[in-house]
Amino acid sequence: MNSRRDFLKQMSGAALVAGAAPSIFTWALPQAQGVEFPGEEGMILRSFRFVDLESPVEYFNTWLTPVPHFFVRNHMHEPAELGADDWRLSLGGEVEKPLTLGLAELSKLETHSVVNTLECAGNGRSLHRPQVPGIQWGKGAVSTARFSGPRLRDVLERCGVKPTGKHVMFRGLDEVPGKVPPFIRSIPIEKALDAGTLIATRMNGSPLTKHHGFPARALVPGWIGAASCKWLTEIKVLDAEFVGNFMSTGYRLPNQPVKPGDVVKPEDTHPVTALSVKSVISGPSDGASLRAGKVVVHGTAWAGEADIVKVEISTDGGASWSSAKLGHDHAHYAWRLWSYEWKAGKSGDYTILSRATDSQGRTQPATPVWNPSGYLYNAIDQVKIHVS
Amino acid sequence: MFLSFERARLSAAPQTPKKSNAALAASALLILAPFTLAQKAAPANVTADLPAGALQAKATAACLECHEARIILQQRLSKAAWTKEVDKMTKWGAVVDAADRDALIDYLSANFSPDKPAYEAQQTSASTGGTGKASK
Repeated sequence: MNSRRDFLKQMSGAALVAGAAPSIFTWALPQAQGVEFPGEEGMILRSFRFVDLESPVEYFNTWLTPVPHFFVRNHMHEPAELGADDWRLSLGGEVEKPLTLGLAELSKLETHSVVNTLECAGNGRSLHRPQVPGIQWGKGAVSTARFSGPRLRDVLERCGVKPTGKHVMFRGLDEVPGKVPPFIRSIPIEKALDAGTLIATRMNGSPLTKHHGFPARALVPGWIGAASCKWLTEIKVLDAEFVGNFMSTGYRLPNQPVKPGDVVKPEDTHPVTALSVKSVISGPSDGASLRAGKVVVHGTAWAGEADIVKVEISTDGGASWSSAKLGHDHAHYAWRLWSYEWKAGKSGDYTILSRATDSQGRTQPATPVWNPSGYLYNAIDQVKIHVS
Repeated sequence: MFLSFERARLSAAPQTPKKSNAALAASALLILAPFTLAQKAAPANVTADLPAGALQAKATAACLECHEARIILQQRLSKAAWTKEVDKMTKWGAVVDAADRDALIDYLSANFSPDKPAYEAQQTSASTGGTGKASK
């Protein structure tokens, strides 16, 4: 505890040097403005401790997100020490043969890769009204990477799942502060046995970094980020959904729409699983001033377990819509980049909207679906710009 | 219990200097400086403080034991919502004297209510790309 006190004491007196720099410096010195955070470049700092970093939407212009630009969501402290040689993953519960695997044994299993768009369930929470408690994410708690590792089902088959096995629980090595309940959640056996569900050890071809769950994390594609437990240490097959704070209380949505102030009984809720259909405009930036003429509106769209079938753009506040061109790169669980060439005519203020539709027939709503924890915000995106 | 990353970060980080005329002069020079020099500009604070008030010290002790101030600074909540948060966090181990509970809720509600201006987040340093601008 002394170290923490010392830390606070030393830091509390330090002056904020960079935050108030004149705006004229911004273009020349973008790197001089920020909080130093090795390996995490230009990220929006939601929290230093625990680490919660958001990607600026301006980064949403590559299909695969470079790891230093990939959002980070931690519920608790990261594990203090994790040696690749000492790390073990135990598998047990409703199985015939419990197993313990090291990283070397895991790496001998057949490797598969899945390009997956990972999104925090709370992405966009700050846009809900009234505001709800939690990390106040803007639009950028979402990123895409190629995750690689053995399939969870290959490992479970080695253990022999009993017919009583209905859910699969993941436990991470997060260090739990105070009396906070441990971060443990479960997924249904069907999703656990899906060919896309991995025990991921690599991200964009390199070993996972610590912020992203080194040495291994679950990768539950198309589902909220919280399903993809980091610093994985235990996999347990259960006969029912795991009972605990992050499954029974957190990460649940009301079965029916609710209004602020309504009391929602736990039995009237269900766990948040697959992501919603959603698009985000990555350019032009909100508040931009542009010259009349050709303007490329661009961004990205994703739909969890479904595919994006179209993205439509409106430059007149929603009165008329035109289809954007979808990017070449695509994969089942990955976002789709898109672009739209707009001829900006008269000078004035414009609101540009983007609206995605997916293969399940879902379309982004005009107004967000408010819920007490602010999950799965997916209203039609918008930026306001000025043309002169 | 305490994050080792932060210990490492602390030992590696230079003490952030007070903003001085020298620092301002250095900043002014940087606009003409090559890119590599600009990368060495002093970093911003890694932690933030809770606002002044009678409960500042008690809130710092109770809340920042487990997480930093930014998690509080970014919230805009009603008194009813703050009451839920304080009671939840107390259940989760935050040490709040029963006699201080209501004052702590008042302190948080007064400073972080829905009518306060939007929170302006900082960004981490960028060696490449990034806008450098704080974002909402």
